[in-house]
Amino acid sequence: MGALSTYRAQAALAIRTSFSDRTNFVLLVLGMAVNNGFWLILWFLFFTGFRQVGGWRMGDLARLLGILYTLFGVATVFAGGYRDMAGAILRGEIDALLTQPKPVLARMLARESIASAWGDLSTGVLILAVSARLDLAGAALAVAAVAIGAVAWLSAGVIFSSLAFWVAGARSLSRDLMDFTLMFASYPGPIYGGWAKVAAFTVLPAGFVAIAPVDLVRRPSLEAAGIAVGAAAAYAALALAVFSLGLRRYRRGASPGS
Amino acid sequence: MRSTPPWTADLSSVAHTAAALAAAYRVGLASALAAWPVLLGRAVFYGVCLTILGAFWGKVAAEHLPGTLAARLPAGGLGRYVGVTELITLSVTTIQLRLEDELRSGALEPHLLRPKHYLAQTLAGEAGGMSARFAVLGAAGLALLAATGGPWPSVSALAGVVVLAVLGAFVGVLLFTLVGLTAFWLRRVLPALLITQKLIFLLGGLFAPIALYPPWLHAIAVATPFAAHIAFAGEAMLAPSWTQFARALAAQLAWIAVLGALAALMWRAGLAKTLREGV
Repeated sequence: MGALSTYRAQAALAIRTSFSDRTNFVLLVLGMAVNNGFWLILWFLFFTGFRQVGGWRMGDLARLLGILYTLFGVATVFAGGYRDMAGAILRGEIDALLTQPKPVLARMLARESIASAWGDLSTGVLILAVSARLDLAGAALAVAAVAIGAVAWLSAGVIFSSLAFWVAGARSLSRDLMDFTLMFASYPGPIYGGWAKVAAFTVLPAGFVAIAPVDLVRRPSLEAAGIAVGAAAAYAALALAVFSLGLRRYRRGASPGS
Repeated sequence: MRSTPPWTADLSSVAHTAAALAAAYRVGLASALAAWPVLLGRAVFYGVCLTILGAFWGKVAAEHLPGTLAARLPAGGLGRYVGVTELITLSVTTIQLRLEDELRSGALEPHLLRPKHYLAQTLAGEAGGMSARFAVLGAAGLALLAATGGPWPSVSALAGVVVLAVLGAFVGVLLFTLVGLTAFWLRRVLPALLITQKLIFLLGGLFAPIALYPPWLHAIAVATPFAAHIAFAGEAMLAPSWTQFARALAAQLAWIAVLGALAALMWRAGLAKTLREGV
């Protein structure tokens, strides 16, 4: 059984587990869908009153939210283990995986699927289909943007969670960093300038999770594609390197903070 | 044998209850202060929120498109408004998670054997945690205001905002208590939480000041506890007035009474259900 099929089997199991309590599943999905729909209505009210911000109109924001919800949904349904990976590392849950011949990171990511993320996934797709006014080429670009953004988002999750190999308080720190990233990513890109822009494209890769992929859909060009794909690939490589480094340290018996 | 007048016993019981609540408040306050790295992280998050929302509203105000609501934005921008509304939001503790954990796991049971009221004691403890957050974030907000070099509000205006913000934060604690108490009926409180949060964004003025809303939506917003939670204190920062302060204070006190009574009713109904049917 290869790494990919192990991942697929474990992710499928995690998804089936998230379905097990039907009522709870439906409530969580509907709750998240209402939540996202409400957020879209708030933005609709905003653009009704202010028309545009930084050249962005409602259609642009619908694209941003559609892509953001979809990529978050994809990442959290199919690789939801990233959400509490720092906690799992700190609790020593990685020990059981180290005794097995399968890749540790893939199994860490596939071990959980968050039910409410189906609500994000469905509303994201719905927003893209209904509000973002995409033609066929635009839809293909949106799929690419979701894939690019999901890779950048998961990479950020792995990098932040891997801090748990070194820092004892990494559980809440990694959650905070993910929340900051998500918050940065959910506002129109042009509002950022100065050091906020630098932060959005470096420490908190919100720029590469949402802003660059959305730019690819808004103004398709080879340059925009190169930036988005290149950055996602670079973050993925960095995530693998940081996780491997931390895992090597963990195998030597070093505990966080030591 | 000398008999004790009944009112003396009542007074003594009230005094004991007040002392227990004060002790729970002190424990909540001390616990929050002891976890100072968490408070520090929250202060950083507060700074990040202010940076993003300040940049956003700054951009909106700078564009000043004719025929839009931009003309109704205050001259100094919405930085101070956002500072107050985010201060309140981030001061409110996650009481709903504590209630969900304890109600769903059965951890409530040992509390029921004690002579103190579980919900009142929990609320007092959370109010202590809220006070610690409010103090630290408030200090961070003032430091940011000093760093940005903006004009300072008068002492009386600032005092009014602090009163309304503290009461607003407590209205928030009560709102999230109601969310937490839905755990008696729902397995997870997340759906109720998400809906409440979005109502706070819209009707509470967390997304934009409710003064910018069309009159019908504004009228609905001010009649809800969500405005008492967030909007009144934020608006007091933009345009301080004693009339507005008195009206906001009265509304907040009324909502605290209503939400407190609603929480007591939900507690009684939920507890009866749990004792009858189990968790």
